Amino acid sequence: MTDPDVRADHDAIEEAVTPGANGLSQRIVAEQHAERQAGADKVFEIEDVAVAYSGQPAVKNVSFPIYKHDITALIGPSGCGKSTLLRCLNRMNDLIPGAAVSGSLRYHGQDLYGPKVDPVQVRKLVGMVFQKPNPFPKSIFDNIAFGPRVLGMKGDMDEIVERALRRGALWDEVKDRLKENAFGMSGGQQQRLCIARALAIEPDTILMDEPCSALDPISTHKIEDLMLELKQDYSIVIVTHNMQQAARISDRTAFFTVDVDEGERHRTGRVVEYDSTDKIFQNPADPRTEAYVTGKVG
Amino acid sequence: MSTIDPRLPGAQRTRLAAAGARSVTASLTDGRGRDKVTGQIFYALLLLAIAFALAGLCAIVVQAFVKGSPALSLSLFTDAPSSSAERAGFRPALMGTLYLILGVIVLVVPLGIGAAVYLEEYADKTRWWNRLVELNIQNLAGVPSIIYGILGLAFIVRGPLDLGFILAAGSLTLGLLVLPTVILAAREAIRAVPPSIREGSLALGATQWQTIRRQVLPASIPGIITGVILAISRAIGETAPLLLVGAATFVTFDPTFLGSDGYSALPVQIFNYATRPQDEFRVLASAGVIVMLVVLLAMNAFAVWLRNRYEQQW
Amino acid sequence: MAGTGDSEQLRGRFREELADLEALALGGLDLACAQLRRVLQALEHQDVSLASDVVAGDDALDDLYRELHERIIALLALQAPVAGDLRLAASLLHVIRSVERMGDQCVNIAKLIPLDGHHPPTHPVLLEELGVMGKLVCGEIEQSKRAFASRDLDLARDLIHQDRDVNELNRRVFQFAWESGDDPDGREWAMHMILAARAVERMGDLAVDVGEQLGFVMTGQFEEFRDASHPSPSDAAPSV
Repeated sequence: MTDPDVRADHDAIEEAVTPGANGLSQRIVAEQHAERQAGADKVFEIEDVAVAYSGQPAVKNVSFPIYKHDITALIGPSGCGKSTLLRCLNRMNDLIPGAAVSGSLRYHGQDLYGPKVDPVQVRKLVGMVFQKPNPFPKSIFDNIAFGPRVLGMKGDMDEIVERALRRGALWDEVKDRLKENAFGMSGGQQQRLCIARALAIEPDTILMDEPCSALDPISTHKIEDLMLELKQDYSIVIVTHNMQQAARISDRTAFFTVDVDEGERHRTGRVVEYDSTDKIFQNPADPRTEAYVTGKVG
Repeated sequence: MSTIDPRLPGAQRTRLAAAGARSVTASLTDGRGRDKVTGQIFYALLLLAIAFALAGLCAIVVQAFVKGSPALSLSLFTDAPSSSAERAGFRPALMGTLYLILGVIVLVVPLGIGAAVYLEEYADKTRWWNRLVELNIQNLAGVPSIIYGILGLAFIVRGPLDLGFILAAGSLTLGLLVLPTVILAAREAIRAVPPSIREGSLALGATQWQTIRRQVLPASIPGIITGVILAISRAIGETAPLLLVGAATFVTFDPTFLGSDGYSALPVQIFNYATRPQDEFRVLASAGVIVMLVVLLAMNAFAVWLRNRYEQQW
Repeated sequence: MAGTGDSEQLRGRFREELADLEALALGGLDLACAQLRRVLQALEHQDVSLASDVVAGDDALDDLYRELHERIIALLALQAPVAGDLRLAASLLHVIRSVERMGDQCVNIAKLIPLDGHHPPTHPVLLEELGVMGKLVCGEIEQSKRAFASRDLDLARDLIHQDRDVNELNRRVFQFAWESGDDPDGREWAMHMILAARAVERMGDLAVDVGEQLGFVMTGQFEEFRDASHPSPSDAAPSV
């Protein structure tokens, strides 16, 4: 009864309707699966964390998990404590005299601020890239090799350096000038050098404090593409003022706000909302989040 | 630019329009006359100040050259002092100065760098005792050198150390004199290393000591060396403290560090020759001044070259 | 797709997603065509089970619409496309709406086929005209897809010619049905044929809409593909 053309049409429609087969629904199923996967492994568990500088609270009541292989973005107005929180994750706040961290911060289940924990060890596992590129006044090779050398990493230094530069998407551009001073590179290259330098010590998490704010748009996009690649092997937490950047690359976003004390004497930050980036930028739950991401409130 | 109210009478509008046009064009050509003149006067005063300083300096140098050039010869460097002007030279004094400076370097470089590193990298600047130490060092840099001479006499030559009038005592005294300057220069050099370098190093898992040894110090060495050289060039010229701790004026043999036979130094010897009645000795003294000036100039030029060559553009 | 110094390679994930969305949206046009062919087959042979298959198959088009709509909005929110990318994303929203409506038209036709197994008299000429309309409209849909995919604006503009033929056929079907005779069953069936032809003609218009969207993508202006010298008369008006 039905001729071969209609048979083919029939099959096409059938295929499209059946979930799990090639086609649309397959994609949705895969994404949900990935979601559950990510949910299983937490890199950081942050519970009721507060940070005070010389008695003045800078940020408090911070509680949210950070998942493995996520890019987690921390956004919010100036002074809301996002950089402060970021620096807790690799114990860089220890370097600021008068800084006090309270609450529970667990890294793969271990208390990050436990009595036997060595901050130097923490920083080997949790790397950091700063806002303004800060290469050392040495050659490109020595910049990358510095971390492995001070940590006493075994292995052929040439290989270690090449591996780090490849992972940092910089190898092709610098392989012929490894002995040149790092200061001769452009801003975008310097920042990628800093990323490669952090990768050389084989961390499992990379923290980035506004890594692109000093860079031009092309360099910014190159680094964003790099981050999307890196997230397969690392977990990334990024503080950014650039909301579009958070929207473009992050999987989950935490929105911070500032509470101003009566009398305007000091400002304390805290987290308002933490959810998948899709939700934050399409349909945030809290009106303050909506006001911030739509640019109605600074 | 608002328009003129059309309700005003024509003549008035014309006047207002002309005034407006004038104010626009005038602002381009109107110099701020008074400010310009003030600027020019200030510039002239600056030139005058420089002229004075240069004139004073030139006077000294020119006089030394004019007076001393007849006596310039190699024998200045090989002869010992004698009562005869033809056979007098500066050799022991030069050797003494050289040994003194070596002693100063050995003393001052490790102590100075160490103190600077402690003050900049380890000391908690909010504690009062650290602030006190900093204040003290800054003060000591300005203390007159004769005070150091008295200090040396009381505590090094005699007193607790009781070394006697030996060259080492002179080195120690001079070392203490220039130590504050070295500490200050080293501190400046260390401070010039931006905190972002330290942060970057620490964030990679380096300890504080590793950061200092492998990042901060290498980056600040040029500044430190420059400071040391400038301190030494000051030490070379100090006469008063040396007189108090035993630099003699008539020493005919080469000095040793610990020898108790006495030692001399270049400025002291110049002082001695300059105060003798014979004219020939005064000529010799001027020749000595020329030698000193040349050495000092060379050292400072080297310090400047070093600084320019290795200066870090952060 | 990390930067290798070539600025052409940036924002790979965004480009891939946008290309994906375009491919899926245009793929929906194929599905619509397939539905049309099936439903006309069902109509010709009074095949009730095939008709209900067509109705069930519309779920695929509705799901496609929903998913693509979600993803396009997400793309707008998260990637902030501008210029050509923005025009493309906006046009795809229209395209998927057109696709979904095409699917609805096929369902409308399917619902005309009686469920009680009653076989009314059929008129071969009407069925033939309807068949020709179906082929023409499928051709239009395919052409709109090709034009969009290859960004060929002339090919898109050419669609109005076939659309005119389709409109003409629609009028002829109307006329035939009008003159179809006194048998009540036959008349009812003829009325249904008018509705079916109307639905097919609407699908042709929707294909032209897709072509117009291409115009927006390429020029940034919205241009209606109507030949000014031959204004299209109202579809329902009979011309005797």
